[in-house]
Amino acid sequence: MAYSRELIRNFCIIAHIDHGKSTLADRMMELTDTVAMRDMEAQMLDTMDIERERGITIKATAVRMFYTHTDGQKYMLNLIDTPGHVDFTYEVSRSLAACEGAVLVVDATQGIEAQTLANVYLALDNDLEIVPVVNKIDLPSAQPDFVIKEIEDVIGLPAEDAPLISAKNGINIDQVLAKIVETVPPPFGDTDAPLQALIFDSIYDNYKGALSYVRVKSGTVKPGMRIRYMATGREFDVTEVGVFTPSLVPTDSLSAGEVGYISASIKSVADTKVGDTITDANNPAKEALPGYKQANPMVFCGIYPADGADYESLRDALDKLVLNDASLSYEPETSMALGFGFRCGFLGLLHMEIIQERLEREFDLDLVTTSPSVIYKVKRTDGEEIWIDNPSNLPPVTEIEYMEEPMVEAHIMTPSEYVGTIMELCQEKRGIFRDMTYIEETRVNIKYELPLNEIIYDFFDQLKSRSRGYASFDYELKEYVKSDLVKLDFLLNGDMCDALSTIVHRDKAYGKGRAVAEKLQEVIPRQQFEIPIQAAIGGKIIARETVRAVRKDVLAKCYGGDITRKKKLLEKQKEGKKRMRQIGTVSLPSDAFMSVLRIN
Amino acid sequence: MAGIYLHVPFCIKKCDYCDFVSFPSMEKAEEYFCALRREIELVREENRDRKFNTVFFGGGTPSALPPYYIGQITELIGRCFDISVDEATIECNPGTVDIEKLTAYRKAGFNRISIGVQSFDDGLLRGIGRIHTAKETEEAVRLARKAGFDNINVDLMYGLPGQTGEMYIQSIERAARLDVEHISAYSLILEEGTRLYDRVQQGETALPDDDTVYDMHRIGMEKLMSLGYRRYEISNYAKPGFECKHNLNYWNVGEYLGLGLNASSALKKDGKLLRFANSPVMSEYIADINNGVLPRRDIEEISTQEEMFEWAMLGLRKIEGVDRAAFYGRFGVDFETGFDKAVNRLKAMGWLETDERHIRLTRRGLDMQNSALMEFMEGE
Repeated sequence: MAYSRELIRNFCIIAHIDHGKSTLADRMMELTDTVAMRDMEAQMLDTMDIERERGITIKATAVRMFYTHTDGQKYMLNLIDTPGHVDFTYEVSRSLAACEGAVLVVDATQGIEAQTLANVYLALDNDLEIVPVVNKIDLPSAQPDFVIKEIEDVIGLPAEDAPLISAKNGINIDQVLAKIVETVPPPFGDTDAPLQALIFDSIYDNYKGALSYVRVKSGTVKPGMRIRYMATGREFDVTEVGVFTPSLVPTDSLSAGEVGYISASIKSVADTKVGDTITDANNPAKEALPGYKQANPMVFCGIYPADGADYESLRDALDKLVLNDASLSYEPETSMALGFGFRCGFLGLLHMEIIQERLEREFDLDLVTTSPSVIYKVKRTDGEEIWIDNPSNLPPVTEIEYMEEPMVEAHIMTPSEYVGTIMELCQEKRGIFRDMTYIEETRVNIKYELPLNEIIYDFFDQLKSRSRGYASFDYELKEYVKSDLVKLDFLLNGDMCDALSTIVHRDKAYGKGRAVAEKLQEVIPRQQFEIPIQAAIGGKIIARETVRAVRKDVLAKCYGGDITRKKKLLEKQKEGKKRMRQIGTVSLPSDAFMSVLRIN
Repeated sequence: MAGIYLHVPFCIKKCDYCDFVSFPSMEKAEEYFCALRREIELVREENRDRKFNTVFFGGGTPSALPPYYIGQITELIGRCFDISVDEATIECNPGTVDIEKLTAYRKAGFNRISIGVQSFDDGLLRGIGRIHTAKETEEAVRLARKAGFDNINVDLMYGLPGQTGEMYIQSIERAARLDVEHISAYSLILEEGTRLYDRVQQGETALPDDDTVYDMHRIGMEKLMSLGYRRYEISNYAKPGFECKHNLNYWNVGEYLGLGLNASSALKKDGKLLRFANSPVMSEYIADINNGVLPRRDIEEISTQEEMFEWAMLGLRKIEGVDRAAFYGRFGVDFETGFDKAVNRLKAMGWLETDERHIRLTRRGLDMQNSALMEFMEGE
């Protein structure tokens, strides 16, 4: 039974991290009896542990609610929750494309942030109606009037009658629901036209296989239909369609305007890509919905099991994760220092951290990860162009004509008092100043062009600490530009440690070489021989430290009563030695190695 | 030939660095010696055919007790075991001896005395909780001579909190001036659970750094050798002919019978070496014996491979090294064949050398004995 389209509202919520998106969603569900109170776990939509802990949404999810408006009509409200982080901008844009409206949540104590602004612009690009909402009005430091003015000035949205709410304490949530019904237009689309369903997310279900989360733009989909994924061209038979309550509930069909899932016995989420259009194989739409693009990894690192014996378990874990996350890529690689592992590609730094954390928590793996790298473009002297995501694969200097690195356009919003220190940071990170505009007297929007390889290390942390947490940051990939890049290597006792190699700008090489060499000197335990530590560019040594040899390693005394005990001591020492990572002739405890990779 | 070790777990006061089983009270002495005598009776039969040539009374502080306790025991073991004494040692604290005690020890059959001196610097001694002074040490040695001891050892320590290389050398010189026959020179080991450990953790005191301790070891060794003491084991120096036979037996992986609280034994049974130790818990030790049961714990049969490792671990503590013929006699295989990989690697590193009779560590190898032993553990 198709619900009258006039009574459907599809919307999403846009908010900065911690501005209360998930809490608001929870309250809406509560108010519409979507989830019984006793089943409520705080922040229902964030289903992964990591999401809940970090207070961020990683995967898009959706929920259907029924709300009876003051006009007496019962409306179907489909909330599509979007990931709230810069790494997932593409997913956000697809989620937005599935809606007609967006609730913009702004923290009454903080105002608009860079990420919020970026998503608002995305929403406007997708012709969404924006419903501004001011949250956390119950906090003593709330300045609702100020924030309303900011919304009007910065975004240009009328906000004088924006609901003033507290999601946490359930204040004025009904006003938000009413606003959605009144402001967001009902979906349009021809139920009888050929099927066009936009995939805004896909998840892997252990029983049903890969599910496509869709917004049906036109036509109808029902079980038994043969469907085609227009980007991949692959065809499947629909076994089930349904909606989110938020658990999956099968229905007879999904029609134009509705939001739900399609199950078609698909084995991997790689076959149901976010942004793709599903159509009827027997009566296909003329063209796919616009905007599909392949999500490409931007940040890479090597992931190795701390214990080589766990290699197969790591492979299994990655196989499982990728079922649910098509943007994760991985392929086997070997490192002389770390043994067998995988080169993994991620959408961004957060994505990388999340995957590492999930591997460690959900699969109980102990990992060693190499420092992150971006993809560099290398023009060889023979004219060939290659892409390098692993410093170890960089051709010798003599074979390189030039190299290019990816640049991003970064928007930083900050209270004006921090402008100086933030510009200093951007300058340090080889940024090129582009623009600075005062949003209002005390808030500034700074635009910089920055090399991606500078922001994947500690940029975000530094930004936060320099601005006491007030600055926010968003970026998008711009272009590749020529750059004077070099490969920085580290040698321990003359042996190169490939896991520490990194590609850096020549101007940064000396400082970094020194810092890492010093750290190595600090963490490498003294051994039987003196260990020279060298940082090198090509054959040229740019920094050098030395770990002096142990001079004495012997038990002072060993008599009758001690023999068994001393034997055990030696066995322990031997065990400890076995657990060390061997880099050429040098032994290094795993955690020491990790601490070096971190500063790297 | 085997040795007998007897443990006397009583002290006037526990030293700050000590993690041995001993009690700073004589309260249980009567009961303990009663049990010890029974233990001797209990193991008599087992050791009927074993020949002993050394006896060692260690502690604790055997000299903290009236000498008749000791005399009763020596009299008893003389009756129960087949002993022809080459060397009988008793450990003493300089603060606990007088001429009567020392004479009594001589009468009881002791021919060697080992004095826990540690240092001749009274400040350092106080700093580690010792009860005696340098003066008392000198007096104790004089009295021991007077009582007729012509084989005297003093224990010295380096790496003490506040100690410098010069202070250590001065202690060596003062010991040598007393013309003792034997000097043991140990580096202080900070053991968890000791008072000193806690004080270091709390930052109340600090030990010299590794490099300083190593320098003390080197200059101490040079000094001792220049004074006529031959280094025959990692921490032991003696005038020629005064090497400690009882201890050499440990390093030669010989048999020994340990009696008393927490005492360890290594005895051969049907050609296999067994290692075990008595309970370290006083109440358990006494109760077991009173029930006619031996209080032995952790009985372990040493496999051939393990025993071969022990020969390396213990034998390579001796400066002369492992006796090839003795090794072959025990295992029917040459040391160099049994440990070919380790021997070759260590030789290449300059840590090990061989001649027709012995396999020994070089000076560098001795300094790094633990690391060297790792090579012998390979493949185990």
